[in-house]
Amino acid sequence: MSAEYQAVLWNRNKKLYDLTIAAGVVVFLGLFVGIGVATRTQATIETLLIRGFGAGALLLLHVVLAIGPLCRLDPRFLPLLYNRRHLGVCTFLLALAHGGFSILQFHGLGVLNPLVSVLASNGNYDSLSQFPFQALGLLALVILFLLAATSHDFWLANLTAPVWKSLHMVVYVAYGLILAHVALGSLQAPERPTALAVLLGIGFAGIASLHLVAGWRERAPAPDAAAGHSAVDVCAVSDIPLDRARIFLLADERVAVFRYRAEGGERIAAVSNVCQHQNGPLGEGRVVDGCITCPWHGYQYRPEDGCSPPPFTETIPTFSVRVERDRVLVDPRPNPPGTHAEPARLGTASGAGEPS
Amino acid sequence: MSIVRAAEVVVLLCTVYIALGLAFAPFFVWRGVGRIDPAARSAGFGFRLIILPGVAALWPVLLRRWLAGRRPPSERNAHRDAAASRAGQASA
Repeated sequence: MSAEYQAVLWNRNKKLYDLTIAAGVVVFLGLFVGIGVATRTQATIETLLIRGFGAGALLLLHVVLAIGPLCRLDPRFLPLLYNRRHLGVCTFLLALAHGGFSILQFHGLGVLNPLVSVLASNGNYDSLSQFPFQALGLLALVILFLLAATSHDFWLANLTAPVWKSLHMVVYVAYGLILAHVALGSLQAPERPTALAVLLGIGFAGIASLHLVAGWRERAPAPDAAAGHSAVDVCAVSDIPLDRARIFLLADERVAVFRYRAEGGERIAAVSNVCQHQNGPLGEGRVVDGCITCPWHGYQYRPEDGCSPPPFTETIPTFSVRVERDRVLVDPRPNPPGTHAEPARLGTASGAGEPS
Repeated sequence: MSIVRAAEVVVLLCTVYIALGLAFAPFFVWRGVGRIDPAARSAGFGFRLIILPGVAALWPVLLRRWLAGRRPPSERNAHRDAAASRAGQASA
């Protein structure tokens, strides 16, 4: 969290995650080159490596793009999200190896600057089928570099999470460029590999379907919050699972209403659903050790005031709540981040809805 | 303009931009980063090294903030904006 930056906040899970990525990449490249040597006797080892790096980057990019919606659909995928940035950096490194070796092999020995050669060796910018696919790959590589280079939390704090997230949404532009790069490259190759086109289509359809389904499922209910209402009836107390939340749309953004155990009985508190770290969905997290814990990276906030426990300094807006006749009423006007809002007290029995 | 000439201009502009960024980045990660972000003041060499490529890429943003002596900006979203507006009305 925000106490002091470190290069990487290593822990056992992150090391395990990164070792798995590294082992997966090595196994994939070994298999790709091994099978290539056995089945494509005319292909050089350099060509197989270039294609292996590119295929690995494309595969990892699909994994990166699938993790978000998968986590929305099933929380069992959340461990994959935990260290997704390292997966993104690995994708860039594979793409860099692919691009670097390609430029060296195909553009490094001419009279032109290799980068000029990439942009100008195929001048068919006015043709759809003969469009210079290498320029598209180069542009995608620049985007992947920008995303990898700004993946540290320093950038989140100094660009702010909404700007950082908008910047990192450009990954979809990179994905489109890479799809076009691969498709045009295949189309312009003498052998025209149809299997690759089919795989690309399946990959794109899979990513698009996951995003559509997750987006449909994610729609938050908007309770009747007519202007002038001082409190909005959002749900019954028993609708909220213990130590978890239900999410509602209030004041043009999602609000997470938590029911949690505390000293002397259960409480209900409401906070903005948006984690200050990467704008993760706090309402999909749990209350752990008395703190709301973001499901994405474990950032924590106290339910009653939206402050991270010391020494951390993140704060989120809170909402005033009360319980009347087993119904949870939330004031739709957000309190400034870090403002104490007295939680509604429910007594000791689980699910009891005593008025606060 | 021929395609080769246009490509040369694009590559030249990018090279100049990156060269300026590479010249700026070491000074920024050494002295500037702690000025704009207190959490970076006593951060180690590894952190400074890891942000270096991004600093070289986004150097105009950081240079402007360093010169203005600004701290990290406040995040904005619908709730934070509404809360700030409410607090402003209360203090008026």
